[in-house]
Amino acid sequence: MNTSSQVNQHDRVTHLLPGGTSRSCLGFGLAIPLLVATVYSAATARQSEKPAATGERISFNQTIRPLLQQHCSACHGGVKAAGGISFVYKDRAFGKGDSGEPIIVAGHPEESELIRRVTAHDEEERMPPAKHGVKLSAAQIQTLESWISQGAPWDELWSIQQLQEPPAPALERPTTWGIQPLDAFVAAGWEQAGLSPSPPAKPAEWLRRVSFDLIGLPPTLEEYRTFQDAVTQGEPQAKEQVIDRLLQSPQFGERWASLWMDLARYSDTYGFEQDPARTIWPWRDWVVRAFNCDMPYDQFTIRQIAGDLLDEPSTDDVLATAFHRNTQNNAEGGTDDEEFRLAAVIDRVDTLWTTWQGTTFGCARCHAHPYDPYPQADYFRMLAFFNNTEDADLNDDFPVFTVPDAPEARAQAVKLRETMNRERNAVLNSGHKVLTATSDWAVLTPLSASASAGSLDSDEQGTIRASGTLPVGVSYSISFPVNRPLTALQLFILPDDPSPDRNPERAAVLSHLVATQILKSGERKPLSFGDVVADYLAGPFDPRESLNENAAGFGEFPVTTSDRMAVFVLNEPLSTEAVTIELVMHQKAGANSGFQAAPVRQFQWQGTADPKWTDWLNGAERAEFENAFTTARQAYQAAAGPRVPVLRERRPEAARRTRILARGNRMAPGAEVKPGLPGPFRAPGSNPEPVPTMSRLDLANWLVSHQNPLTARTLANRLWAELFGTGIVETLEDLGTSGAEPSNAKLLDHLAFRLSHEHRWSLKAFLKEVTLSATYGQTATSTDTTPLPDPRNRMVARGPRKRLSAEMIRDQALAMSGLLSAKMYGPPVFPPQPDGVWNTVYSGATWKTSEGEDRYRRALYTYQKRTSGYPAFLTFDAPTRDVCTARRIPTNTPLQALLTLNDPALLECAQALATRAASQSPDPKQQISYAAQLWTLESPAAGMIERLIQLREEALMEYSRDPEASRAIADSPERAALVLVCHALFNLDLALNR
Amino acid sequence: MKTHEQMLRQILHQETRRHFLRQGSLALGSIWLASQARAGEQPAVALDLAHPMRPRAPLFAPRARRVIYLHMAGSPSQLELFDYKPELARFDGKDCPASFLEGKTFAFIQGIPKMLGPVYPFQQQGQSGTWMSDRWKYLPEVADELCVVKSLTTDQFNHGPAQLMMHSGSANAGAPSFGAWTTYGLGSENDNLPGFIVLNSGGKNPDAGKSVWGAGYLPSVFQGVQCRTRGEPVLFLSNPKGISSQLRRKTLDALAEINHQTASEIGDPETLSRIAQYELAFRMQTSAAEVFDISKETPGTLEAYGAAPGQESFANNCLLARRLAENGVRFIQLFDWGWDHHGASEPESLSVGLTNKVNAVDRPITALIKDLRQRGLLEDTLILWGGEFGRTPMQENRNGLPMAFPGRDHNPGAFTMWMAGGGVRAGTSFGETDDLGYQAVIDKISVHDLHATLLHLLGFDHLRLTYPVSGVPQRLTNVTKPGSQVVSKLLDSVNGTSSEPRQT
Repeated sequence: MNTSSQVNQHDRVTHLLPGGTSRSCLGFGLAIPLLVATVYSAATARQSEKPAATGERISFNQTIRPLLQQHCSACHGGVKAAGGISFVYKDRAFGKGDSGEPIIVAGHPEESELIRRVTAHDEEERMPPAKHGVKLSAAQIQTLESWISQGAPWDELWSIQQLQEPPAPALERPTTWGIQPLDAFVAAGWEQAGLSPSPPAKPAEWLRRVSFDLIGLPPTLEEYRTFQDAVTQGEPQAKEQVIDRLLQSPQFGERWASLWMDLARYSDTYGFEQDPARTIWPWRDWVVRAFNCDMPYDQFTIRQIAGDLLDEPSTDDVLATAFHRNTQNNAEGGTDDEEFRLAAVIDRVDTLWTTWQGTTFGCARCHAHPYDPYPQADYFRMLAFFNNTEDADLNDDFPVFTVPDAPEARAQAVKLRETMNRERNAVLNSGHKVLTATSDWAVLTPLSASASAGSLDSDEQGTIRASGTLPVGVSYSISFPVNRPLTALQLFILPDDPSPDRNPERAAVLSHLVATQILKSGERKPLSFGDVVADYLAGPFDPRESLNENAAGFGEFPVTTSDRMAVFVLNEPLSTEAVTIELVMHQKAGANSGFQAAPVRQFQWQGTADPKWTDWLNGAERAEFENAFTTARQAYQAAAGPRVPVLRERRPEAARRTRILARGNRMAPGAEVKPGLPGPFRAPGSNPEPVPTMSRLDLANWLVSHQNPLTARTLANRLWAELFGTGIVETLEDLGTSGAEPSNAKLLDHLAFRLSHEHRWSLKAFLKEVTLSATYGQTATSTDTTPLPDPRNRMVARGPRKRLSAEMIRDQALAMSGLLSAKMYGPPVFPPQPDGVWNTVYSGATWKTSEGEDRYRRALYTYQKRTSGYPAFLTFDAPTRDVCTARRIPTNTPLQALLTLNDPALLECAQALATRAASQSPDPKQQISYAAQLWTLESPAAGMIERLIQLREEALMEYSRDPEASRAIADSPERAALVLVCHALFNLDLALNR
Repeated sequence: MKTHEQMLRQILHQETRRHFLRQGSLALGSIWLASQARAGEQPAVALDLAHPMRPRAPLFAPRARRVIYLHMAGSPSQLELFDYKPELARFDGKDCPASFLEGKTFAFIQGIPKMLGPVYPFQQQGQSGTWMSDRWKYLPEVADELCVVKSLTTDQFNHGPAQLMMHSGSANAGAPSFGAWTTYGLGSENDNLPGFIVLNSGGKNPDAGKSVWGAGYLPSVFQGVQCRTRGEPVLFLSNPKGISSQLRRKTLDALAEINHQTASEIGDPETLSRIAQYELAFRMQTSAAEVFDISKETPGTLEAYGAAPGQESFANNCLLARRLAENGVRFIQLFDWGWDHHGASEPESLSVGLTNKVNAVDRPITALIKDLRQRGLLEDTLILWGGEFGRTPMQENRNGLPMAFPGRDHNPGAFTMWMAGGGVRAGTSFGETDDLGYQAVIDKISVHDLHATLLHLLGFDHLRLTYPVSGVPQRLTNVTKPGSQVVSKLLDSVNGTSSEPRQT
C-alpha cells in the first residue's frame, strides 16, 4: 500500500535544497514557537513536532525518514555507518549494530536500541552526541516510539515506489472548473492551500505562451487572427487547432531538441584545454527528427543508449548512440587516455541517471550514496554496462561512423560496415585454423638484444623484459639463432602482472616490425611479412598496421589488460642458409593520442617452420576472404558524409573487466563486478549480477519498462517544468531523498502514468493534454482578488509567466525582424559575436561569421564551444555543456540588459524589423503599431504606442541634427528613428517573457 | 481553519497591493518581513525588490563596509608560506607514518608517500613576529596588519567542491556565494557599478565555474559580475555606433515607463527587477569604463603595484580592487588561478611554480594594503587571502611514483588564510597545526566559523542573515551543519562589537 497517498505531501517542511543543503528548520527550529513555512504548508505543523494521536498511522516517508536523515544519517547513513548502524538501508536498520543490540524491533520500542539511546540520560550514551547535534525533542521521541509500536512500517522513497494511477481526487468543494483530469489534481492541491484558480488567459496571452512552449517561436499576427476568429466559434476547438498545428510544425523538433542538448551535454567541440572541433551535429539532427516524428520516448531512449545493439540496426539507430559520445575528450598532450576514457564512462552513468532517473547516482561512485540506498557496488555494476565500448579518448574520436549524405548510401551504411568487419574477421578466423593446426612452435632464445633506450634482458625461457626509461620511439634490436626455414613468427605480449586489470598497466604497442635474415655467408637479406594473425581484433588499429612504417601497430591501448598474441606470417620461408634472424621492434606513440610512450615491456618470440602458413598466405581461401573484405571496405568508404563518433561494443573476447574502484580511484581497483541493476530495482534475494550477463540494450529496455517508475516521473516532471517554469519537484535533477519535495505528488504520478501508460510515451499527445488543460490556460496576471500569495506559483493557481530562454530570445528577434531562416539541419553556424571572445591559445580555431541565411539560423544551430560559449546564450543562463544540465536557473542581470541593448546582432534585427514595419505603411504611427503588435498581438495599449511615438520624435530630432549618427543606423533620419524604436521593442519586459 | 498569521498575511498582501498600485513598485520586502517576523526574530534584511541594491544598515555597527577577497585558486602550500614547521624538516624523505594515512582520502597520493620538509626557510617579521617564508619579499612590510589563521579546516579535498564550500558554505552548486550574501545584506554603495565584481587572473576561471560567485537561491541581482581587465571591461558595454548616450537615456525612459505599465497590469515582480537592471546597465556604461581605466593612476602607483595598463594580471586586478573599493563596490572578488603545486611539472612545483606565483602577487598585495591604509580605507575594508584547502606534509606520489618536482597533495585538515583591515585583530597569528603541519589541533576553525566571523565583521549575526526558501530560512553558515560560531579572538578587541559568539 502506498502510504504517501494517505497523507498530505505538504505537511513536510523538512527537505533539501537543489544543492543538497537542507532546508530543514530542525536544528534551531525547536526554539521557534511556530514557523509557518509557506502558505500551503501553514495549516499543519510538522508531524514529527507533535506527538502522533493514538491510532494515527505515522508515515515513514513523511515523518520518520526526514527525522532520521536530519539527526542520524550523517553518522549512521550510506557513507558512514558508525557502530555498524545505517538508517539508509532497511535491513541494517532492523539489524544489529556492532554492539549486538537490535536497533529497531518492530512493535517494541522498549526493546529497540534506537529508543534507548535517544532517551538516555547519560550524555555519553545519548544520541545524537552533543557535539553532533541537538537532543531530540520529547515529541520527536514519542513519534519514533509510536512508529515502532505501529510495527515500524518502512516505505521506499516515494519516487522509486511503483507507479500507479492515482484515483481522481475527491474535491471537498466540487467545481465545474477544469478540462483535463490533471486539473482536478491541481485543484485538490489548492484546497489544501486555500487557493483558487485565476481567470482564463486572453487569447493573445495564451497564444504567445503556447507558441513559445511548443515550437520556441512567437505566433505571427496572421496566426493570431485565425485563432481569434476560431475562438468565436468555440474556444476549446480553437485551442486544439492551434496545438495541433504547432505539434505538426517542423519547428517543434528544434524547440525540444534545445532541451535535449543540455541534458546530452551536446557540443561541437571536445572540451578541455585545446577544445578541438568535433563532428557530431548529425546526431543533433537525429534528435530534431525524432521529436518531429514523435518517436515514443521508450524508442528514443533505447536507440540513444543501445541503438547499436539492436537486431539489424539502421544508420539512424547507430547515429543515435552518439548521445553518449558527447562526453568530453581530452586531446591535450601527455594525458592518460585511460583516465579520460574512464571519465567519459563515468559521465555516461551520471548523465543517464540525471537525465532518465532524476537521481544523483554519481554520489555512489566514491562511496555508498549518503541518503539513498545505493551502495558503491551498484554504481560499478551500472558502470559495467558502459565499460565495454571501443572509444578510448583518442584524438580522432575513434570509433567514428560515416553517415552518408546520399539517402541510398545512408540506408546501406550499417550493413556495409558490418560486412566489412565480418569479412575482416573471416580472414582472421581462417588464420586461426592454421594456428590450431600448427604444432611445431618453438621459443626463440635471443642471441643478443639491445634497446635504443633503457635495457633488455632475457631469461632462460626466452622471455624478454625491457626496463629503465622507455620513451616514445624506443626500438629494440634482437637477434635469434635459427636452424630451420621458419614460415611464421609469433609474438606474445605479456603483462607485467599476471592479473593486469588489478594493477593497471600502461599500453603496449608494437608499431612497426622489421626483420632481416643473416645467411651463413654473412649476407643480410631483408624479410617481408604477408599478414598478421592476431588473437582478436579490438581497439583503434588493425594488427596489420605493424607491418607499415608510421602506422599504429599491434597491441593493447590505452592499457594492457591481458596477454596478447599475433602471428607474423612470412611471405617466403627463411632461407635454408639462414643462421640468424634479426628483429627490430619500433614503438612510437601509442595510437594517435599525443605523446604517451606505449612500449612492449615483456614479450616472447616463437617460430614455426610449418609450410601451412605459407600455403595459407598464398591460398585461395584467404584470397577469397581478403577480396570480400577489400570490396566491403571500399564500398563502406566510398560513401561521402560526416564522420560521427558513435558507441561500438568491443568483441566478447576483448571485453574489459569492471572492478569497484576504492573511493572512485582508478588506481585502486577492488572486486570485479558484472552489469546489474541497483538494489531497489532487484527482486529481493536475486543475483545482483544476473546470468547471462545483461547488456546495454537490457539496461535501456529496463529504463523504459513499467518496472521503472523513475523514468516516467522524471520525464513528466521535466515536461511540466518546461511548460510551467518550475517542476512539480523543483530539483529536476534529484527526485531522491536529498531533492526537493513534490509540490503535488499525486499530480506528478497522474501525469507520469498518463505519459507512460495512456499515451505510450508520446510526447506530443502528452503535451497536447497539458496545454489544453484549464491549469495551463489560466492568466498569469495576478489580480487583487487572489486571496493569498503563492509567490513562486508552485501550486499553479496562476498561469505560468516565464522569461524566454537564451535560444528563444535570439529566435524571437530573428522571427520578428523577418530575418529568421527556415533552413533546418546541417553543420553548426557562426552568427555574429564580439571579436576576441574565443580564446585561441593552443588552437588555431577562429570564429568566421557565417554569410547568407546561415547568419540568421535558429539558435539551436549556433556553434557550441565548451570553453567559450556564445556570449548571448551564456548571459541568458545557457550552460557550457561540459556535463549534463538538468535545469537552468533563470537570472535577471544588468549584463542581460547590456546585451539586448548593445549587441550589434540585435541592432541588425531592429534594422530589419524597421524595414518590415515601414513596408506596412508610410505613417510612423502605423509603423510603430504594427511592430509593437507583433508582440502584443491584440492592439497595443494606446499609452504604449504614444510613448513609443514620443521616443521616435526624440530620436528623429537627434538624428536630423546628427547625420553621421543617423547614417550609422539607417539611410535616413526617419528610418534611423524607427530602427531605434524597434530596437527598444526587443528590450521590453513583455518581449523578454512569455 | 484560518490562523491569525494567515489573516495578517492577507491584510499585508492587500496593503502591498495598494502600495504597488499607488507607487508602481511591489514591496515584496514587507511580505517577506511578515514571514520572518513569525519566526520570532527581527529580520536582518528588509528587502525591497524594486530597489534591491539600495544600501541597507546591518544589524549592528559593522567594522567592515566592504570586502576584498583574494582567492588563490588551487590552494597555496601553507607549509612553504606561513605555517612554520621545523619538525617537518627532520622527517624530510622519511616514509609517512601509517597513522597519517589511515582512513584518509587523497586526491593523488597512493600507498606510502615520503614526508617533504619545508622547501624554504622561515623568518619572523614585524613587531608581531609573524612567521613568513623567505618567498615573501614585500609582504613583511605589512606583517603587522595581518591576522594569520593557521588552523582552518574544510571537509572537501577537491578544488571544485572546496571552492564552493569556501564561497557558499556548501560543496554543491546552488547556494549563494559569500559575496551574494554580502550584497543581499548590505546592498551597494554605488548605483553605477555592480555591487559584487569578480576579476580573474592566471588565465583560467576557478575550477568550480561561475557558481562561486553565483546568487544561488537569492534573487539573481546579487550574483557577482565578472569583468574583463582587457578590452571592454564588460562585454557589450558600449552603445552601438549611431546610438548616443542621450538617445540611450531616452530609450531607457520609454522602456521604464512601458515596463512599469506592464508591471502594474501583470504583477510580476521580475518586471520591476528588470527595470532596475536596465538602469544599472546604463550607469555601468559610463562609470565602469572610467573605473576600469587604470592608466590615470600615477606612475608611482603603477610601479608600487607592478601594474601595467592593458595587461591581464593579478597586479592590475589589485589596483582595480582599490579603485572599486574607493567607488563603493561592496564585494570585490579576485581569483588568481595556478596555485595547485602538485609537483608534476616545473610550473606545478613548489621549487619553481610556487615562487613564480608568489612573485606575481607579493608586491601588488602589499601595495594594496598600504594604499588602502594611506587612503583611510583599510579600517573598514576587510581583506581576505587564501585558497580552498591546505596541502599535505607528504610529498605527492601520484600513481605511487615519486613526482618529478617537489609538490604536495590536497589537505582539508589544515590550511592558512590571513585577513587584514576591517576590524580584524592585526599583527596576530591564530591557531596551530600539529608538529608536522598535517592537522589543525589548537583553535580549529571550520569554513563556517570563518563565515560567521566575517559576517560578524560586516555587522550581521550569521544566524539571522537568512533568506526564506520555501519558507525555511537558509543562511551562509549552512543550517545542516550546526555548531558554527564567531571566533571572537580574531576580532580587534578594542573596537570589537559586544555581540557574544553564538552557537547553533
